Amino acid sequence: MTTTDHNPDRTADVLIIGAGASGAAVAASLAEAGFDVVCIEQGNWQDASKFPTVEPDFELRQMSSWSINPNKRKLREDYPVNVDDSAIDPVMFNGVGGSTIMWAAHTPRLHPSDFRVKTLDGVADDWPITYEDLEPWYDLNDHVMGCAGIAGDPANPPRSPRQMPPVPIGKDGEMLAAAFDRLGWHWWPSDNYVNSIRYGEGRDACNFCGHNMMGCYQRAKSSTDLNYWPRAIDQGAEFVTGARVREITTDSTGRATGVNYLDAAGNDHHRKARAVVVAANGVGTPRMLLMSASDRHPNGLSNSSGMVGKNLMFHVYAGVTGVFPGNNERWVGPAANMIMSQEFYETDPSRGFVRGYSYQSGRGPGGPGAAARGGKVPWGAGHHEQVKRRLGNTVGLGVIGDDLPEEHNTVTLDPRLTDSSGLPAPKITYTVSKNSRALLDHGLIQAQKVMEEAGADEVDVNRFSREAGWHLMGTARMGDDPERSVVDSYGQSHDIDNLFIVDGSVFVTGGAVNPTPTIQAIALRAADYIVNERQDLKS
Amino acid sequence: MITSNLSESDVNVLSTAMDRVVPAVDDLPGAGGMGLAIVVVERSRADERFWNALTTVVNALSSAGSDGSGEFASMSGDEQDDALRAVEMSEPAAFALWLDVVFTIYYMQPAVHKRLDWHGRSPQPVGNEMPPWDESVLSKIRQREPFWRKV
Repeated sequence: MTTTDHNPDRTADVLIIGAGASGAAVAASLAEAGFDVVCIEQGNWQDASKFPTVEPDFELRQMSSWSINPNKRKLREDYPVNVDDSAIDPVMFNGVGGSTIMWAAHTPRLHPSDFRVKTLDGVADDWPITYEDLEPWYDLNDHVMGCAGIAGDPANPPRSPRQMPPVPIGKDGEMLAAAFDRLGWHWWPSDNYVNSIRYGEGRDACNFCGHNMMGCYQRAKSSTDLNYWPRAIDQGAEFVTGARVREITTDSTGRATGVNYLDAAGNDHHRKARAVVVAANGVGTPRMLLMSASDRHPNGLSNSSGMVGKNLMFHVYAGVTGVFPGNNERWVGPAANMIMSQEFYETDPSRGFVRGYSYQSGRGPGGPGAAARGGKVPWGAGHHEQVKRRLGNTVGLGVIGDDLPEEHNTVTLDPRLTDSSGLPAPKITYTVSKNSRALLDHGLIQAQKVMEEAGADEVDVNRFSREAGWHLMGTARMGDDPERSVVDSYGQSHDIDNLFIVDGSVFVTGGAVNPTPTIQAIALRAADYIVNERQDLKS
Repeated sequence: MITSNLSESDVNVLSTAMDRVVPAVDDLPGAGGMGLAIVVVERSRADERFWNALTTVVNALSSAGSDGSGEFASMSGDEQDDALRAVEMSEPAAFALWLDVVFTIYYMQPAVHKRLDWHGRSPQPVGNEMPPWDESVLSKIRQREPFWRKV
């Protein structure tokens, strides 16, 4: 469904680019505070009743029009990404809800140490904020999105009671948990933005279908089209969907004045605003700032530091898959997030690398097609025997590693590749550091021990996951020094006082956990700053 | 949607190749013998990546015989396997994607589900059942003192 611009001549207080995790949080907060908000989103609203999990060919669609990879999906609302010089493919979803439509909804928080890696470990930079600074907004976001979990994790600071009890971890989760217990290693039920009971308007409890990555038919998995956006729209926020912003416009003083965008039919429009909030993810946001170059901003908008597009971080991923004896049903339950372990999260100099990693357990893929795919099952002789052996009998343990910022890992504009509107596509340049490789190797060795302890009779090792660039971070980093950062701790541009960035671009470091709760906490904190300190932006 | 199509002889090559990669088992014929080559072609025509992989593999197999097009289908089984392995080596990405498409379509078939005793339904709307969350599993880890790094 495409929504057109009903008030093209009105000057919005705040125009938000992107309707995903962070744009939604900002929109709801500002609209509820009486700001006139308009959001421009290149994708469209999703109809949960039409998600592919209700179709018999869902696995084929997952490889094509519902791929996590925009370069494979190739929908009109997607933009291609040049990954020729990248070890990792970025993955994302474009639509109302953004990548919260197509995520596992695993929602751990950064650790206090993640904000102080320079001080503690002598690497990268400290954030200009602390864990404690963000904690109130972490809690607020948990409440809105709805968090299933349980407080008391010894690997993390104490936190408020979760909104729902944990999603059942199942026999497979209990099996891994017992293995961690016997090894004397940490584990804890994952925090999830997945309903273990009914929570939120019109949202059922999870029915454990195992395929919630392709949108959640039950609306049990939280996505911002189900919570933040209805709140924002109730308070008058406007929406333009199927519309692609091509540049942020500025006046003679250099301040933002709105955006120029192309509607679904390709017609050019200008929308005026007193402030612009960019929430287009760690690839889309630097792309947008670089596309907004002008005579006054020849290196792109908000780029006096030269840091726009630099320090790109993903998380590095690797993993093991255990094949267990018996006839099990290890596909039952949400696709990932049974339990996590942070035994090796913090720096230990004896390991030969700085910082650390988390383990995330993942269920075996449901269905024989998934059991057969991926190169672990031979074709020809032996094929049927291997499918039978693996169907329902595999459990995964992923290593998600801290990915420290390096300036040579970048998002730039590709000189030739364009999207379907003719706008420059982003080019990713990314190499895996020695530290990341050492960290993953350590994690894989320990993960094999876990699987063997759990009773696996075969362990497959995936040394590196290329199509795992879920977490797009660092390309418009926050900081106190305008020469080394793009925005301040509230996401406000150092260069342009009515331009804000609120997505993963502002991360200084990545930690070793999924970033969405942190992204949303940062966005909510930025919104509160606008409400409390920038009333000048309100009409 | 791809507008071009495979020739009859190419479909025959494809069907023969599918019988080698997913051979007959129990009372089921191989993937080619089940008539799935046409399905693979049609579904591949809907996705440029699938189509490129399919045509890369089929073209390579079609030219595998010493006399050119059409030889693959008349080779012995071992020779066909050798030809498939050669394509797998020379065109690994295309071969892997083609194989995934063939596997996925084969395992969408109700007769295959029946043989595997797999329920065969789509994930939604029925879903699955799980035993409820059991907090007693935390008994050991709860004994551990907090160990997060203080700042």
